[in-house]
Amino acid sequence: MAASWEARPPMRTEELIRSLSTDLPAVAAGTVARRLALGLAAGAVASAGIMLAWLGPRPDLALALATPMFWMKLGYAAATGLIAALLLARLARPGTRPGVLAVLVAAPFVLVAAMALMRFAETPPPERQALLMGHTSMICPWRILAIGLPLLAGAVWAVRGLAPTRLALAGLAAGACAGGLGAAIYAVACDETSAPFLAVWYTLGMAVVAAVGAVLGSRLLRWR
Amino acid sequence: MLAGLAGEAEPYRRLLDELSRLLRAYYGRRCPPGLDPEDLVQETLIAVHSRRATYDVGQPFTAWAYAIARYKLIDALRRARLHLRAPAEAAEALFVAPEARGGAQAAMAARDLDRVLAGLPARTQALVREVKLEGLSIREAAQKHGMTETAVKVAVHRALKALGGRHGGELGGAAADAD
Repeated sequence: MAASWEARPPMRTEELIRSLSTDLPAVAAGTVARRLALGLAAGAVASAGIMLAWLGPRPDLALALATPMFWMKLGYAAATGLIAALLLARLARPGTRPGVLAVLVAAPFVLVAAMALMRFAETPPPERQALLMGHTSMICPWRILAIGLPLLAGAVWAVRGLAPTRLALAGLAAGACAGGLGAAIYAVACDETSAPFLAVWYTLGMAVVAAVGAVLGSRLLRWR
Repeated sequence: MLAGLAGEAEPYRRLLDELSRLLRAYYGRRCPPGLDPEDLVQETLIAVHSRRATYDVGQPFTAWAYAIARYKLIDALRRARLHLRAPAEAAEALFVAPEARGGAQAAMAARDLDRVLAGLPARTQALVREVKLEGLSIREAAQKHGMTETAVKVAVHRALKALGGRHGGELGGAAADAD
C-alpha cells in the first residue's frame, strides 16, 4: 500500500491539474437528480417486491381505492418521502444547508396529526383506544422498516456517488425518504382505516427508518 | 467552473490552478503534523474534479469547493487517527533497545531489522537507524544529511508507517515480544 512513498517522486500538482483538465467530458445538467431517482426507483422496485411476496396487497384493494382513507395513507407517506427526497438532493451536494425543506418535511405530519385530533375529539372516549391501536399497531412500524430498508440502500448508493459533506444529516434525510416511500408501498397492503392510527404508527415506522439512516449515514455515506 | 462543466479544458485548468493555490493556503494552516498538505491539495482537486456534477450553478463556487476541502480534511484526520497511529506504534516496537533483550534475541531482532529496513531507500534506512537506534537527535541527523528537521521527522515517520503497513503482522509479534 504505502510502498511507493519515496521510491517514486509523488505526482506534482501541476501535472495532476493538467491530466484532470485534458479529455474533459461535458457534465450533463441534472446528474444529481437522475442518480437519486435511479437509486430510489431501484429501491422501490425491491421494496414493492418484498411487500407483494411477503404480505400481498390487501384483499379488498379494489374497494379501498374508492375510500379517502386509502389515499390519505398513501398521500401522507408519499408526500413525506418526496419532500425528504428533495432535502436529500440538497444535502448530497457539498456546502448546502437543509433550509426550509427541513421544516417542510414535517408538514404532512402536522396535517395528519390535526386530522387525527379532530377524529379523536368526535369519538366517544371508550372507542378511542380501538381507533388508535387498530389491529396491527404492534407490527406496523416494523413492517415499514422492513419495506423501507431496500429504499434506504438505494438512497445510500445514490448519495455515496455524489458528495455529501454533512453525513449524519444526509443519512437522516435518506432515512426519512426511504421511510416515507416505504410506508407508501406498505399502504397498499395495510387495511387500517383511522387517522389516529396513521398519525402514530405510520409516523413511528418512518421515524425508525429515518433514525437508522441517521445512525448509519456518517459511516455508509463516506466517499473518497 | 461553468466552462469546465461544459467541457472546456483551458478555463478549467486555470480554475484548478487558482484553486490549488487557495487550497495550499487553506491546508497550510490546518494540516496536522505527519500529514502532507500537498497530498490533501491533490486529493481535494481530484474530488472537485470527480464530483463536479454536484456543483449547483446557483451556488458560489468557493463555498462548494471549500466544503469539499473541509470534508477532505476531516476525512484525513479520521484516517490518520485510525490507521496511521497503530502501525507506527507497532513499528516502534522493533526499535526498543535491542541490548535490553537477551543475546540471541538481540541478534534475531537485529537481523529482522536488516531485513525489514532493506525495502527502504538508502538515505531513509540511514535516518531510521541513526534516529531510532543510535540515538541521534533529529537536529543532528538533519545536519548530517543536509535536510531540514521537519524533513527528517517526516521521513522517519513515513518510514515507520510504511513498515507498519508492510510488516503489520510480523511487527504485531515483535510488539508482543517486547512487552
